This record gives sequence, structure tokens and C-alpha cells, in this order.
Amino acid sequence: MSNKPQLTRSKLPISGRIVMFFIRHIQHAMGSMGELWRNPVSSLMTMAVLGVSLSLPAALQVLVKNAESITQSWNSAAEISLFIDEGRSERTIKSLITRIKVYPEVSDVNYINRDQALDEFQRLSGFGEALSYLDTNPLPAVVTVTPSLKYSSPVGARELLKKLEMEPEVSFGRLDIEWLERLQAVVRLLERTVLAIAALLVLAVVLVIGNTIRLAIMNRRTEIEVMKLVGATEAFIQRPFLYTGIWYGIIGGVLAWIIINLLVWYLDSALAELLGLYGSQLEMQSLTLVELGQLVALASFLGWLGSYLSVRQHLRAIEPS
Amino acid sequence: MIRFEQVSKVYPGGQKALSDVNFHLKRGEMAFLTGHSGAGKSTLLKLITVIERANAGRVLINGHDIAKLSRSDVPFLRRDIGMIFQSHHLLMEKSVFDNVALPLVIEGFSHGEIKKRVLAALDMVGLYGKERHSPIMLSGGEQQRVGIARAIVNKPPLLLADEPTGNLDPKLSMDILRLFETFNDSGTTVLIATHDLGLIARMKYRTLTLKQGHVLGGEELTPSAGGLKG
Repeated sequence: MSNKPQLTRSKLPISGRIVMFFIRHIQHAMGSMGELWRNPVSSLMTMAVLGVSLSLPAALQVLVKNAESITQSWNSAAEISLFIDEGRSERTIKSLITRIKVYPEVSDVNYINRDQALDEFQRLSGFGEALSYLDTNPLPAVVTVTPSLKYSSPVGARELLKKLEMEPEVSFGRLDIEWLERLQAVVRLLERTVLAIAALLVLAVVLVIGNTIRLAIMNRRTEIEVMKLVGATEAFIQRPFLYTGIWYGIIGGVLAWIIINLLVWYLDSALAELLGLYGSQLEMQSLTLVELGQLVALASFLGWLGSYLSVRQHLRAIEPS
Repeated sequence: MIRFEQVSKVYPGGQKALSDVNFHLKRGEMAFLTGHSGAGKSTLLKLITVIERANAGRVLINGHDIAKLSRSDVPFLRRDIGMIFQSHHLLMEKSVFDNVALPLVIEGFSHGEIKKRVLAALDMVGLYGKERHSPIMLSGGEQQRVGIARAIVNKPPLLLADEPTGNLDPKLSMDILRLFETFNDSGTTVLIATHDLGLIARMKYRTLTLKQGHVLGGEELTPSAGGLKG
């Protein structure tokens, strides 16, 4: 007997092997689909669990997306009020306004002189009577500045405010954006919560698929033993299970997408009513087709990962005896 | 084809199955392996098919040292060994055709080639026309022959049979042995483990007898077995 160092890996020519590689993959993919189809009740139960698990992070993603679009539309509402030193003449104020108007950071400037300010105060505050006891008008003239889009963020607006306060006529300025900063902090917190919950649910998806595949492996124990006895490689044996996991992921992802669309459709009229009360023109956004693709791609990856981890652990343990 | 050199196998727990076993089965030879239950027959077959590995000594199968085979090499070695089991190891939910086709599917043959070879193998064991049946519908002897068809379908150089006539009546047993003879005639090395001494007596083949983990008749009974020692 000659001592051959290497075992013959295949009796087929290389071209035949490449063609058969793809044919086997397609056969295994279709075979796994057929296997799921043959046990529709248990397969659908698993897919429903995955769909619900995936729909939660996806729903939170929709929520964040909508919250972001709302805060963005409110960003431009930031306005700076500049209070003018007492005793400045109308002419100096006019020249100040002309100077501010040419700032590249500024989109609009409004002037409220002292009389107008008093008028407004009397109308809106309810202290009109008390004011009539005063000899002089205590209110300063106000210039309101709307920053350009680029400078309407809290940071940009603050910068602009500092610059405007350097003007000699300006006594001090006020920027009313604290509420905006708070809203953005809330949105950031929301985003972080979404990320944490999404991570947990993604883990749940991997575990559910891993466990489902573990049961499938246990059910086909004898078959796996026989396949190992007649010379099947582990790659060959595990392939149908990996495809099963991928199918679970894909169908679970599509289910999640359907659930999200139903949810958005259900909430849309209620939200429209709420936004209508605030005079907003915003429309609720759902997931786009690109996001559907991302969702399904992520889900199929999770399906593959779950079944891969399960297969690694359990397939090796099955040996013919 | 099969060479054992001072092979010992002790199972975890101290149970001694084989000790210092030496024998050489040449290419194209046919032999029986016999002994009482518990004498180490199944352990010896498990060492050949790398289900178990030896604690000491060398096992060479078709020129490959088993100890040097990595885990990923094992499937490829097993493709060179046709195995027949007493309990058949058939997949009952699959058709006879699919059962026999399994080794070819694993090796990646095309559909046409698989069909041709499976039908030829079934014809050889006398089951032509039953490929669409389920193994459950077949008798014990027919199930055994499905197992044989699966073992020979990819034309392995080595055929191992573990009690292939275990549950069969003498006539069916003889039929199956005649079948092994035809494979042997076409150049396949055959090793049959059995405790059916009556069967062995009727056939003029070399016999390896296992007794308390030792092999008797490993070398001296074969006049043509020159250059045995490794």
C-alpha cells in the first residue's frame, strides 16, 4: 500500500464542483423553505414571535424619526431679543438695525419702539391700569433678530447672541431656546433608550432562532448521524439549518414591517388631530422601502447568526456511535 | 487496505476493548471478523470508521494513518468506506431512492448521474422498481439490501458490514453473502463482522477471531499474506 499524504477531497472535476456548489446551495435554500412550509403552524408561531420582537425596535425608530423631524421644524423658531440702552435716539437705533441686517447670520430683523412695546404690554399683560400711574415709559426699545437657518441651532444662536451683545447700543440680549435644548435632550434620551431596547430585542431574536434551530437539530438527530457516517462534511450538514435561520429572519423582518405600517396607519389620524391643534403641517412618517430593505437584511443576518451559533454548538455534539 | 499495528483501545472508565491487535487485510481481500458479543468486534469497526480513535498503536486505512487525520478529513475517509449496519440506519421518512442517493448527494453528483447510479445499485441488490417505496413498507431482508445499496452506490474501495445477516433466515443470509462475493469479485475489499459461525463455515474465507480483545488468526491463516509486519 502506498502512503498517500492527502485524502481525495472530491471525485468531481473543478468545473463540475463549482456548478454543483451553487446548485446545492439553491437546493438547500429551497429545501429549508419547503421544510418550514411542511410545518406551517410551528413555523408561523416562530415567525410571529420574530416579527413582534423586531417590530418594537422598528416602531421606536419610527418614533425617533418623527420626533427629530418635529424638532427640526421648531429649530427655526429660535429668536433673539435685543434690549436697547435707554436714551438712544431713533437714528442710532435705525443705524444699528441696518448694521445687523447685513450680518450673514441674520435672516430677519424687527424693531419694536418704546411706545409699541408699551402698547403691547398693556394689551397682553393685564397690568395696563398700573402703568398709567407711572410718569414715564419704563420699557426699553426692542430689536428682534431671527437667525439664518445655519445659525438657528442652540449653539449657533448663542454665538450670534454674543456677537450682537457687543454692539454699543445693546444693553443685553435674550435667547429663548431653553425649551428647545430641553426638547433635544429628551430626544437624545429617547434615542438612547431605543438603542438599548433594540439591542435587547435583537438578542432575543438571536436566542429565539438559536433555540428553534436547536430543536430542529434534535428532531433530525438520526438523520445527522447517518449523514456523518456516509461522509457528509459539517458544512454540508449545517447548511440547511443556516438557510432555515435566514428564512426565519427574512419573513420575521417582513412581518415586522407590516406591523409597523399597520401601527402608523392606526396612529396617523389621531396624530394628525393633535398636530392640527398646534397648527402644524407635519405628516407622520413610516418606514421607507430602503428601511424595509435594511430591516430585512438585519433580520436575515440575525437569523443566520442565531442558527450558526446553535449549529456550532449542537451539530458537533452529535456523533455516530 | 486495513492495517492494525499493536492497536489498543481502552474506553474512558477503564473498560479494555482491544489490546495489542495486529492484522492486515489486503486490497481486494474478503474476510470475516468473529467473536462473542463484547469481544471487541464493534470497537474494531469503530476504529476503522474513525467513530473511535485508538489509545495506542497505528491504524492505517487505505494508506492513511488515522491518528494523523484531522476532524475535517474524517468525512472524506468515510466516503471510501461503505458501511452496512445490523440496524440498517435507514431514514424511514425518506424514500428508498433518497436513502440510497444520500452518499452521492453529499459528494455533489449531478441529478442525472445520481439517478443512474442509484437505479444501478438497486438493480444489483434486487430492488429495482421499489425506489419510490418507503423503507417501512419493506421486509427486514429488503431493508438490509437498501442499506447495502447505499453502501456500494459510490463504489467505495472498502466495504464493512456489522452483523449484516443478524435478523435474517439462513436462505436470505446466504443471498446477502453471495452479494458481498460479487462486490469482492469486482475488486472491493470486504470485511464482515458476524457471530454466525455456521455461515462462516460454509464459505472459504479468512476469519479473524476476537477473543478478550486479542485477534487470533490475524496473520497465519492467510497463505498469500506476505510482509505483514509494519
